[in-house]
Amino acid sequence: MSSAAPAPVASAAPPDRGRQRIVLENVFKSFERAGQKTQVLADISLSADDGTFISLLGPSGCGKTTLLRLADGLIAPDSGRIAVSGHPPRPGPETGFVFQSFRLIPWATVSANIEFALLPTGLGRAERRERARRYMDLVGLTRFADSYPGELSGGMGQRVALARALIPEPKILLMDEPFAALDAQTRELMQTELMRLWSRLGSVVLFVTHSVDEAIALSDKIVLMGPRPGRILEVIDVGLPRPRQLFEMRSEPRFIELRDYLWNRIRTLVLTDPASDFYGRDLEPE
Amino acid sequence: MTTVYRVLFMVLLIALWQIASMNVGRNLIPSPLATFHTGTAMLADGRLVGALGASLSIYLTGLFLAIVIAIPLGIVMGGIRLLGKTLEVYVYALSATPRVAFIPLIIALLGLGFEAKITVVLLGAIMPILINTYAGVLAVDTQLIEMARSVGLSRTGIFVRIVLPGSVPFIIVGLRLGATIGLINTVVAELYTAVTGLGGLLAIYGNSFRMEEYFVVVLTLAMIGVVVTETLRLLESRLSGWKTAG
Ligand SMILES: Nc1ncnc2c1ncn2[C@@H]1O[C@H](COP(=O)(O)OP(=O)(O)OP(=O)(O)O)[C@@H](O)[C@H]1O
Ligand SMILES: [Mg+2]
Repeated sequence: MSSAAPAPVASAAPPDRGRQRIVLENVFKSFERAGQKTQVLADISLSADDGTFISLLGPSGCGKTTLLRLADGLIAPDSGRIAVSGHPPRPGPETGFVFQSFRLIPWATVSANIEFALLPTGLGRAERRERARRYMDLVGLTRFADSYPGELSGGMGQRVALARALIPEPKILLMDEPFAALDAQTRELMQTELMRLWSRLGSVVLFVTHSVDEAIALSDKIVLMGPRPGRILEVIDVGLPRPRQLFEMRSEPRFIELRDYLWNRIRTLVLTDPASDFYGRDLEPE
Repeated sequence: MTTVYRVLFMVLLIALWQIASMNVGRNLIPSPLATFHTGTAMLADGRLVGALGASLSIYLTGLFLAIVIAIPLGIVMGGIRLLGKTLEVYVYALSATPRVAFIPLIIALLGLGFEAKITVVLLGAIMPILINTYAGVLAVDTQLIEMARSVGLSRTGIFVRIVLPGSVPFIIVGLRLGATIGLINTVVAELYTAVTGLGGLLAIYGNSFRMEEYFVVVLTLAMIGVVVTETLRLLESRLSGWKTAG
């Protein structure tokens, strides 16, 4: 993928087959509804090394969720090749998935919902309990261990979903707008915790977000996607040093430069791409 | 609070009953007090207890059989799509047929006794339980299933931990309907086959215009209905404590 972004500070490590955890090659995916076939993803090629944090950025409906489901092995591509750890992807505890709609089990308590992801791991009951306690604490829900999802606020529900994805300490994390329902402060806390866990585990993260700032702040690479059919427009190296101070870095020149670039790119995409939902909409004030 | 309103409503009903008993001629409606006295007398001489025992044993046996057949069958039908699709038309056809239509056949096959009676109850109670269990399994949240798949749970694990618990509210609705229809069919069975139990008493007292006794039997049947549905409601609130109020 070519990079039209401002000069990258540091290029990604040269391709090293052994470290390539997720590989997608010329992947196509379409859905059929009422006999009508829509191409949702077209010719997606992407690879993600261990220990890298990759954000997927793009307007609604461009196939970000579909891409994550493909990478998890929940659905199969029409054509193309997907390999995770060298094999066709298979869902399981090696891959954590934070769903956009939290998908909590309504009849299970917060702690049971979080523990749920450990069921196929073969960990003993006591060990599962103990880990659930730790991750409940991580997302700040210890006091709600025995509450049911119906009793939680949206932001709390999202944190349960987050803890459930993190608890198996997976090598691969697929996160679909995992912080969208959080308030600004909680979001920053969770971002920091995620950064910590990610660098400890050395996982690869595919992270879907609509927030340009969040994408820059967290990622090594940003994959910009366009709609109808969903395709990769550009892969941008963020090139900001780590560890990052999430708050202070917002005033760094590189951050501002990237943010301006991405905002303009997406705005143009949404307003001038004939495939966009808002094609031709006027954004000038009256 | 509900209890207070319920009691108040009962007082109102009894008052209306009293008024009706004074205004409807030919002693067709006995007064509440007279009915109460007859009731205690019938309890004391064992007539009511004997009939109640006979009816309950038919009712509960038939209902039990319906439950142990319908719930597993509904689950299997929902779990194996091909089987469900194959059988569902027949289930719906059978449930639309008035079960009274089968009584002559049942009598011809099983006679007039206990077996025939529980079969009538079974046939009535089984359909709503089966249909609701089946619907519950089919109505499972596909997003939760995908979540469980993503976590790495096996097919059996998903069935046990997501599909079955998810269909519990449906099964309880089915049980409530089945229990009600089963009770109705108990009386039907006792009227149409060998005349026994509460249904039998109903026939005897109704035909001989002994309205006080007749009312006692009707009220007893109503009370069985209340006890059974309240038990199921209790079970329901036990099992669905996770549902938020309001
Ligand atoms: N199971 C499905 N059946 C039919 N169409 C689907 C299905 N899943 C997704 N689509 C279609 O695929 C396209 C991409 O969906 P997807 O959920 O991947 O988008 P997204 O980029 O995640 O959007 P958003 O940012 O709004 O979450 C949409 O047009 C959607 O209607
Ligand atoms: Mg999405």
